[in-house]
Amino acid sequence: MSKPGVKVRFYRSKNKLKEKSAGLGLDANAVIEFDEGLLSEAEEALNEMSEEYPDWVMTIIDELFEVHRRCVDDEVGRKGYFERINSIAHDMKGQGGTFGYQLITDFAEGLYNFTAAGAGLSDSHVEIIKAHLDAMRVVIRERIEGDGGDIGAEIKKGLELSVQKFSNKK
Amino acid sequence: MSGIDLSRISVLVVEDSPFIRSLLVNSIRILGVQSVRSVDDGSEAIEFIKLVEENPMKAGMMSVDIIVCDWEMSPVNGLMLLRWIRRHKDSKDRFKPFVMLTGYSEPKRVHEAREMGVTEFMSKPFSVNSIADKLQSVIFKPRQFVHTNSYFGPDRRRQEIPISGDDRRVYTYDSPEVEIVNV
Repeated sequence: MSKPGVKVRFYRSKNKLKEKSAGLGLDANAVIEFDEGLLSEAEEALNEMSEEYPDWVMTIIDELFEVHRRCVDDEVGRKGYFERINSIAHDMKGQGGTFGYQLITDFAEGLYNFTAAGAGLSDSHVEIIKAHLDAMRVVIRERIEGDGGDIGAEIKKGLELSVQKFSNKK
Repeated sequence: MSGIDLSRISVLVVEDSPFIRSLLVNSIRILGVQSVRSVDDGSEAIEFIKLVEENPMKAGMMSVDIIVCDWEMSPVNGLMLLRWIRRHKDSKDRFKPFVMLTGYSEPKRVHEAREMGVTEFMSKPFSVNSIADKLQSVIFKPRQFVHTNSYFGPDRRRQEIPISGDDRRVYTYDSPEVEIVNV
């Protein structure tokens, strides 16, 4: 039974997970770390799996192009399509960098911000979405990893110019 | 230095993207966790957690020790699942470690999950090292839980820092309004 007038309770429990992973007789001051070899092995496995990323993300980019096409054809339903694009872009921005495609993360972040609620639904917005998708497609098609160096800078500049051009049309 | 043996730890991965889910599950397995299950979203996670509690043999998992969960999912997202774990009457283990995986780094979002009692945040893009760090932290640096009229979750104060000015805390461990429960 609790004391009356108690405003704050602290719950302290036995560390069962520590017992499960290091045993009962562990010295309280022992330093417990992952084995370096194991971490390298895991990193290598993640890298191997990552090699499939471009093929996978291309299917997502194709899906985005399909949603974009619907934005063009169906102005009334545009809000819902923008939300769909925003949700996909959110996932993509968290993934590209994990697999070495930083530009996908950067462009997806731009697309995510650009399609956020209240960002606008004009034809110019639809064109700017397409400019982002075109940039992403080039990155994957050409397998441009990291920041892409000069080519990456060129694609970014091209996207910025497209955004500017269509923004001025608003 | 001792090595970590995670072979007896069980992890539930909640992630709607099949590709990311597969990466997470495989990375966690390679780190030594033998019992890893994955589901598509929060509602499936709730069903699975209930099944593990009611019939572990049928669930194929004796317990869910740690949840690694994406934020953005439908219909039940990561924050809703966290709320269920921490506050719902049907949740049998409200102290369960919960690692939120998210592309959101906006302070408002971080604050929201912290107030809901998240154990750790893991931001996307993730690496094997970041997964290892979070598992290590959850297992070896657990925090006491705090229950007030507005919060239930791990102590948001991760370390004891000496107070340099006036002590403005309303309650301390010695206050009669404070109860320490060993569970």
